[in-house]
Amino acid sequence: MLTPKRVKWRRVHRGRMTGRALRGSTLTFGEFGLQALEPCWMTNRQIEAARIAMTRHIKRGGKVWIKVFPDKPVTKKPAEVRMGAGKGNPEFWVAVVRPGRVLFELAGVEASVAKEALRLAAAKLPIGTKIVSREEASA
Amino acid sequence: MATKELTLPIEKRETTGTSATHALRRDGKIPGVLYGHGAAPMHLAVEARAFDDLLHHGGRTGVITLTLDGKKADTALVRALDRDPLSHKVAHVDLQRVSAHEAVHAKLPVTTVGVARGVKDFGGVMDVLVHEVEIEGPVDQLPDHLEIDVTVLGIHQHATAANIALPKGFKLLTAADTIVVSVEASKTAQHLEEAASGAAIEQSTPEVIGAKPEA
Repeated sequence: MLTPKRVKWRRVHRGRMTGRALRGSTLTFGEFGLQALEPCWMTNRQIEAARIAMTRHIKRGGKVWIKVFPDKPVTKKPAEVRMGAGKGNPEFWVAVVRPGRVLFELAGVEASVAKEALRLAAAKLPIGTKIVSREEASA
Repeated sequence: MATKELTLPIEKRETTGTSATHALRRDGKIPGVLYGHGAAPMHLAVEARAFDDLLHHGGRTGVITLTLDGKKADTALVRALDRDPLSHKVAHVDLQRVSAHEAVHAKLPVTTVGVARGVKDFGGVMDVLVHEVEIEGPVDQLPDHLEIDVTVLGIHQHATAANIALPKGFKLLTAADTIVVSVEASKTAQHLEEAASGAAIEQSTPEVIGAKPEA
């Protein structure tokens, strides 16, 4: 699963998810991609589940790019603990996704296979997404 | 290269800024600018439907005749398109004045022709590394796209920008040794095995930069 190797801070503030993706909203490597339509914190488990769904479907051939990285730690306090006494322990990692962000890209497979793989990947994600293609983007 | 003459009615735009352009887009128009040939830039607006139609008929690379109040105003080339990342609608257009036989620089998309030998016979993956190359040539003969033949490529072989078939009178500006297409062995199967064995699932605590080691 994706996690950072080195971090500057063990815990970070929550931040805001307002607005749209300012970068990473176009296809850069592949022929097809999955674009986020809503904001979310996408966990490394969700990203991994989507990746596995895609690679299982395309079986042989094809190339997958993951264009988001979960670099934000999310903390949680243990159950039945009173409030206070400092921030909780880092539990998992998330990628902050804003609408417009291209999450995954695919190349080297037929259009029908790519679209089905991306549909299966979309089912593993907590937000609405749409499939984009280089052909549509340039038309 | 566009087969028929491309015309686009334009209207002068007196207002600029966020509110004015938002209002234009609400009315089904696209704000734009016309510049080049040392003349003063002109703010303009075009009908969104007419412009989309133009793009579908070779307007992305073809020379466009601009008409203002029904009269021919200029000939231009679409230089840049700003698109909304979610709806993909054109948000703004840059038009550059060109004369009929002028030589211009243009970035054109590259499309592959055929199926690579490495993909067909050995199950490899063809990776297009560069999707656009820059060329220089006469504006009235600019093609819609450039083609590169990939049929001879085997596994671990590549084609460079020099292998792109250029139309007569055009010069390649992108470095000739730039790798455009490569064919590699498929890694998808390997990823699948890793996922199944759980090798990719192990999670480690990251090192904190500058943290003192615990005593």
